[in-house]
Parts: sequence; structure tokens; C-alpha cells
Amino acid sequence: MNNRLRVLRAERAWSQADLAERLEVSRQSVNAIETGKYDPSLPLAFRLARLFDTTIEAIFTDEK
Amino acid sequence: MERKIKDSALSRYKKRMFILVVVLALLSQLVFWEFIRHHPTGVLAYLLAVLPALPFIGIMATYALYIAELRDELVRTVVKTSLLWSIVATLSATTLWGFLELLANAPHLQPLLVLPIFGIFLGIATALVNRRYE
Repeated sequence: MNNRLRVLRAERAWSQADLAERLEVSRQSVNAIETGKYDPSLPLAFRLARLFDTTIEAIFTDEK
Repeated sequence: MERKIKDSALSRYKKRMFILVVVLALLSQLVFWEFIRHHPTGVLAYLLAVLPALPFIGIMATYALYIAELRDELVRTVVKTSLLWSIVATLSATTLWGFLELLANAPHLQPLLVLPIFGIFLGIATALVNRRYE
């Protein structure tokens, strides 16, 4: 699954650690999601969408 | 500087583990001492013999609680996947060894060793699974 997390994070000048703190997850989690190594659960995807004030579909796409 | 997200599940797990390890050390000393000095028999021997196993059971339950309480879903995924692989490795190794004992007169493997073997496999599996998400 592809995602725009790195772009959204960069727009706000947040580091991975900043985002991890806001999501209350580890930095390793943020990195794994960003690099497409780990697909987040639906609750975490919703938290991400809420945090970036957008929709899940605007962050994640199922293109390979 | 990187700020680390503290998972309270880990600190609770460490506290519980510390208590259980202390209990294990005390109980083991007490039971071994009792067997060496008084040579208990019958029901008393059975009751005393299972005492050191109780903290081990507690350690396993503590690990299960740790998984249940983990907030970070990636860490939970790593732990669960590692557990699955270590179960596969332990069952495979003990089955192989069982046939070696049965057919090739290999030395007897104490069932008590299965838990430390599982622990070793769990450590290896955790390191390997963690690498997948780095």
C-alpha cells in the first residue's frame, strides 16, 4: 500500500518522532508505515486522517 | 534529540518479571534445600516439586499480559509474529529430538529445557522479525 505520509509530515515540518508522539506510537511504527513495510490498522489510519485533517483515502492508496 | 514514546505495558511487564524472578529464586532455593535436607516423599514431595514451576507459569502469563496491554500495534505485531515462529521452531526442534531419542539413542532431553529453548528461539525470532520493519 502506498501513502502520502512523508509529504503530509513534511508540509507540517514534523519529524517522524514528532508524528509518533502525536499518534502515541513508536518512531519505528511511523517509519514502517511511511516506507510501506507495515499497513496500519483501521483505528490507527483514522487517527492519522484526523491528525492531518483529511480522509484515509487521501493518505493511503492501494496502488502497487 | 529523539523523543521516545514510553509504552507503560513494557514498564509493567518489567516490574512483574522482576518480582517473579525474585520469587522463582527464593522458591527454588527453598525447595531444593528441603529436598536435600529432609528428602520429602509422597504427596508432600509432589506439592513441593511443583512450587518452582509456578513462577515460570507466572512468567508466561506475564508475557501474555504484556502483549494484551501493548498500545503500539507494530510492536504487538512483531511480538505476535515472533511468538508464532518461536512456537514453530520449538515444536520442530523437540519433535526432531524426540525421534532422535526414539530411534537413534540420542540423550534424553529434559522437558524442563523446553522453556529455555523456546526463550532462545523467541529472542532470535524477535531480532529477525524486528529487522523486517526497520
